[in-house]
Amino acid sequence: MTLSISLSVNGESLNVPLEDTRTTLLDLLREHIGLTGTKKGCDRGQCGACTVLLDGKRINACLTLAASVDGTDVTTIEGLAQGDTLHPVQAAFIEHDGFQCGYCTTGQIMSAVGLLSEGDAGADPERIREGMSGNICRCAAYPGITAAVLDAERRQSESEGTSV
Amino acid sequence: MGAYLQPDTLDEALGILAREPVTIAAGCTDLFAATESQSLNGTVLDVTRIEGLRRIAKDATGWRIGAASTWSDVIAADLPPAFDMLKQAAREVGSVQIQNAGTVAGNICNASPAADGVPPLLSLDAHVEIGAKGGPREVPLAEFLTAPRATVLMPGEMVTAIRIPDVSDKGESRFSKLGARKYLVISIVMVAARLHVQDGFVRDIALSVGACGPVATRLAALEEALRGTPLAGLPDRLQPDLIASALTPITDMRASDEYRREAAVHLLRRVLDDLTLMRSPV
Ligand SMILES: Cc1cc2nc3c(=O)[nH]c(=O)nc-3n(C[C@H](O)[C@H](O)[C@H](O)COP(=O)(O)OP(=O)(O)OC[C@H]3O[C@@H](n4cnc5c(N)ncnc54)[C@H](O)[C@@H]3O)c2cc1C
Ligand code: FES
Ligand code: FES
Repeated sequence: MTLSISLSVNGESLNVPLEDTRTTLLDLLREHIGLTGTKKGCDRGQCGACTVLLDGKRINACLTLAASVDGTDVTTIEGLAQGDTLHPVQAAFIEHDGFQCGYCTTGQIMSAVGLLSEGDAGADPERIREGMSGNICRCAAYPGITAAVLDAERRQSESEGTSV
Repeated sequence: MGAYLQPDTLDEALGILAREPVTIAAGCTDLFAATESQSLNGTVLDVTRIEGLRRIAKDATGWRIGAASTWSDVIAADLPPAFDMLKQAAREVGSVQIQNAGTVAGNICNASPAADGVPPLLSLDAHVEIGAKGGPREVPLAEFLTAPRATVLMPGEMVTAIRIPDVSDKGESRFSKLGARKYLVISIVMVAARLHVQDGFVRDIALSVGACGPVATRLAALEEALRGTPLAGLPDRLQPDLIASALTPITDMRASDEYRREAAVHLLRRVLDDLTLMRSPV
């Protein structure tokens, strides 16, 4: 018996057959769809490397059954840039050296995008660190990550004209 | 491969439960850790799309937290201050990624002694609403949890909601959790306190401690001793022996039993300090 699911990944509608109900969204993205920007760190919810947006909310793809995302909208790191123009959070990570080896970075960026859209981090570095605490960085690039998220948050609120 | 069923209605879900053995899946944040591979071989029943199951609302008898409500739903819900401890616990469950997927009902069904949702829900006198094809039943949370990883749920049943009676949504509340670090930790000890003050006296008080025994527990004897006493100096009247006698902590890799017993007293004092300071005129 095969199961087939339909979902939208980065705006593209896909229909994917699943041989196994236990397949995770992470393996679906990496092995079936070929989008390897989403990383596998711990495969058990503890590191955040696999963070993607599911209907706009950040989740760990390694803890999500692929079968459960039928009919949803998934955004991965590959879906952030508009052509050659980086997403503001991506640009801020480069500007502020928000990484060293880069392994955790795609998850950090997706998590930051989720955090900014939740809209309650504000300009407080402590709130940003708390909001980003589900993303571990083994290179400990935390100061750069916090600076990048703060900067992206500032630019977002300026462009929305919602400065506090 | 087993089937993956995602019913839209509760009737459909209860029909499936009556028909065959299934693994119930909500946010899957516990299921994965518990199952590496074996037990997802059979049919999986995903309860997250059941109509009406993700609602948090008040009705004539109290509050109802639908079984598919996530921790993030609880944080976002408009609830009285008596629920602040539940919201505080919610913010400390794993990470925002976990809170967006993990459900309150999954937390109690998983029945870990360290489940952060349990002490606040005990202090809210929560009841568990259980659905089955033959009709629903309701049990107090304290009876729902029987031992580590064990509940009274029978085959063919599922949790449909957590209910908080009207009389228990009174007062202010606080949650405090002690872990080896701030985020993504398993609690060593956690406490949840709800205090209802009237005219400077303790009208009602609910104190719960988690991770200090096979299941989290209310401190009934201590609550009894504190009811009706003046608010002033309340934290000083915490009697360590009445706390210790209610707890049966274990020693494990995270902490010793003695450490847990002592930490429970300190955490309780801290939350009561907070709650009394908040109430006293400045
Ligand atoms: C990295 C990480 C960190 C975590 N941190 C914490 C923490 O700090 N504090 C804490 O308390 N927990 C923590 N957890 C555990 C978990 O996230 C929570 O317990 C969560 O609330 C579980 O909900 P869920 O919806 O994901 O449950 P699931 O994994 O979907 O289900 C858990 C169990 O409950 C059963 N079940 C679920 N819903 C129902 C229902 N409606 N009726 C009957 N049975 C049902 C399932 O069959 C399963 O046995 C953590 C987990 C991870 C992976
Ligand atoms: S790979 Fe998913 S959280 Fe680590
Ligand atoms: S940059 Fe190396 S793990 Fe974060």
